[in-house]
Amino acid sequence: MADNDIKKVEPGEHKEVTRRQFITGVGGAGVGLVLGGLLVKGFFLPEEVFAVPASEGYLLVDTKKCAGCASCMLACSLVHEGACNLSLSRIQVQSNAFAAFAEEGSVVQQQCRQCTYPACVDACPTGALHVDPKNGNVRTVDASKCIGCERCVEACPFTPSRMQWNFLDKHAQKCDLCVDTPFMTEDGGPGGQQACVAVCPTRAISFTTEIPRQADVGYKVNLREGMAGWAVAGFPTLDDGSYAPTTAAPEAPAAGH
Amino acid sequence: MGDGYTGKILRLNLTNGEVSTMDTAKYEEYGGGHGMGSAIFWDLVPDKTISGFDPGNVITIMGSPLSGTLAPAVAGRTEVQGIGVQGYPIEWFTRSNFGGRFSGQMKFAGWDGIVVEGASDKPVWVDIRNDKVEIKDAEGLWGLDTTETQEEIWRIVQNGVETEWRSLGKMRDAGRTTQRPAVLTIGPVGESKSRTAALIHDSGNGAGQGGFGGVWGAKNLKAISVIGTGSATVADPKALWEARMWAMQYGTAGNWDEFAPLPMGSMFAAAPGSGGKAYAPPDQPASPMGCMGCHKNCRARFKSGASNASTCVDYLFYTAWDQAAHGAYTQVLLDAAEAAQRAGINVYQLESGIIWLNHLYTEGILGKGKEIETELDFTQIGQASFITKLIDMWVNQYDIGADLHDGLARCAEKWGRYEKDTKTGILPLQEWGYSHHYDARTEVEWGYGSLIGERDINEHDFNMLVFWAPSVAALFGAESACPADLLATLAEEKLTPYNDPMMMDYSDEGIYSEAMAKTVAWHRHYTRYFKQSLNYCDWAYMDLFNPWIEDGRGLTPEAEPKFFNAVTGKNLTFEEGMEIGRKIWNLDRSVWVLQGRDRDLEVFTDYNYEVGALPGYTTYEVPYVMPVYENGTWSYKSVAGRKLDRDKVEDWKTKFYTLEGWSTDKGWPTRATLEELGLKHVADELDSKDKLGA
Repeated sequence: MADNDIKKVEPGEHKEVTRRQFITGVGGAGVGLVLGGLLVKGFFLPEEVFAVPASEGYLLVDTKKCAGCASCMLACSLVHEGACNLSLSRIQVQSNAFAAFAEEGSVVQQQCRQCTYPACVDACPTGALHVDPKNGNVRTVDASKCIGCERCVEACPFTPSRMQWNFLDKHAQKCDLCVDTPFMTEDGGPGGQQACVAVCPTRAISFTTEIPRQADVGYKVNLREGMAGWAVAGFPTLDDGSYAPTTAAPEAPAAGH
Repeated sequence: MGDGYTGKILRLNLTNGEVSTMDTAKYEEYGGGHGMGSAIFWDLVPDKTISGFDPGNVITIMGSPLSGTLAPAVAGRTEVQGIGVQGYPIEWFTRSNFGGRFSGQMKFAGWDGIVVEGASDKPVWVDIRNDKVEIKDAEGLWGLDTTETQEEIWRIVQNGVETEWRSLGKMRDAGRTTQRPAVLTIGPVGESKSRTAALIHDSGNGAGQGGFGGVWGAKNLKAISVIGTGSATVADPKALWEARMWAMQYGTAGNWDEFAPLPMGSMFAAAPGSGGKAYAPPDQPASPMGCMGCHKNCRARFKSGASNASTCVDYLFYTAWDQAAHGAYTQVLLDAAEAAQRAGINVYQLESGIIWLNHLYTEGILGKGKEIETELDFTQIGQASFITKLIDMWVNQYDIGADLHDGLARCAEKWGRYEKDTKTGILPLQEWGYSHHYDARTEVEWGYGSLIGERDINEHDFNMLVFWAPSVAALFGAESACPADLLATLAEEKLTPYNDPMMMDYSDEGIYSEAMAKTVAWHRHYTRYFKQSLNYCDWAYMDLFNPWIEDGRGLTPEAEPKFFNAVTGKNLTFEEGMEIGRKIWNLDRSVWVLQGRDRDLEVFTDYNYEVGALPGYTTYEVPYVMPVYENGTWSYKSVAGRKLDRDKVEDWKTKFYTLEGWSTDKGWPTRATLEELGLKHVADELDSKDKLGA
């Protein structure tokens, strides 16, 4: 936690949480530092730890539903920036037109996970990257405080980094679950609408208030099984490419029977 | 906020390697796409009578203000124009387009379009990364198929950074992306300057008609790659967002909770994967695929990975043969599509070609030791080995492939069979050497539009409603979801500026009527502007009837200007857009006139007048059940078996020319018509060549 030693924390913000505060719950906000869905035992923690309240919202994706159209990316940049720009979209869809269904790297939506331990927030030396208690503890950027060091970009453990450098306006930015969307008619944020969820033609992105398991399986989920229309449209609902419920054909009778 | 335009068009001179720019503003009145392309072509090609293979031919590759935006079913579509080499007997100035994401990336890189002039003396490709444009040596790409070429260019441009953010320059603010570049390329058949060569992008996207792949081959242009990090600007972002949300109700995306198999009739409403999976092996797992910004994603990504994102004719050229050989659709048809796309062949020519060759084989004319000698084994038709061999012959120009490589019309002429085989219809080329697609004798707006134009129109605006929906319903003893009287009402309400319900009368009298002239004129003007200049997808627009809406009223004509106005900040009406379309149509017509077009040339091949339109005879149609107005009542009625009457077609042409303001003796635009449209300079040029309508 060396970085934390030099961070200047604004009054009222909780960049640092004492062990005592952590164990007793951060302002009653809930979960705190969560790894793999489990609270880390207090007695493993040092006297001063970095911990923040859990976000009250998360985006989940289904890579086997994604059509790779990038409508989510165009929508994200449109409602945040007022222009459509794939490079400024806070969700990144990467696809390879030649890859087969379910093949690794064929198509994947890379969304911010609103991590319970947000390394980006931890890495920020100015508090620009912060947890916003007024908006469901979403992890977001105060652009006015961003000094452009890009430590957040480097700190994000995922590839591609969910933190991005806005090279037009010169500041870091990330998914805020549509809190700051001046060009979206509807209210955004954890209690409102997310543009990517609203626009996705296949409902391959969903929103949840439940904390996902902090691993790929928690964020890349099956959104097909619970959607009756998916199988009706002729698409498989199970990850192995089969349909649920399975309707296995009877085995052919053996010779002589 | 901007207005959707970048303001710049990239100009590449392959002869001298010069890279320059043109101001978009000069051509902005045309919207984008086709209109701009026609106007640029007019300005840059002084002699319109040159061959498509001539270095003086100019190819335009155009986006629109809607490229790269959230307007549905348009963001990635790209319009290609120039003198094509497929047209027969004259290589008409023509067009094609393709989906995917090319024009979106072009916009993000800062370009409204690309203009290609001249010809290189050695193979080259073009590497565009934002405003950095380089014409590079393509020695290492020449000979690769279309997939290999794209993957190699991806490797070069990504430079080892495939999944992380990648900077497009050395400076910190040069712009970063996680995306692969969009590549448009030719395959081996294009390199060998075939008239049947396509331009291919990603998987399942091709500009096939026109033979532009062969034109690129003649220019020694292997590929254009583009990647950008800039914005598609939007004048009123909130209005665009609201428009997209408004449109959700018209599509499956907004109706998943009530989703059920849809009745035919609305392309906009169709379900994800509806095109891609239609003829795929039914047991093959797949997910939807879609073009940039699409609201429905009609393609599919297959478990086999073969021919991903292909739809319709991409694999339909072999489905019936596959089914006949195997009793079902199998992997063979997907592999056939994959092979054709890798080679870069215009699959419409394969489709008609296989039908024709099989007729000749069946009649004992073609085969081993026959009049037309070939090693191709027709007992294997429907098998993978047959199509693989045929494509190999075609690409490498041996056996019958040496002649097929020049296109079906010229091949038939060389074999001395063009006249007789287009008279019987076993060589189904309906007009201008283009493959029979939808039938001129029954679905006349398709045939007339193609004949008065320069290619198979491939515009499904009316097709789904007047042919497929009632015909398929009839097969099952059901009624079309859109009753015939509602169809007529929708035409009256929505087909501005004519607003005539009789435009939907496909009866034996109706097809020669002034109302049908209006139908064709409306279609020509609508598609020229909204679909080919603004680049709205043919598989989404127009939307006359929509099954998701209670009263069936689709989003045309409200949607088309709504998205355009949100992006550009303009206040265009639908009717104004139609008028721009009329202007573009007349500009194109004037180019054709300079190339040699006149009334006498505008005649279908003989089978359209002499052989009844029998289902399945020429290509793949089901029985022709069309809307008719008879005895004061609208209904759907079978018109199968119908032939066109030569005299009545000529009468109809007179009505059409009159409606368009063209001379009835030649079919040439008059000065009054051109000047009314702001095309005085075009009138002057026609006048100087003694080709102005009088």
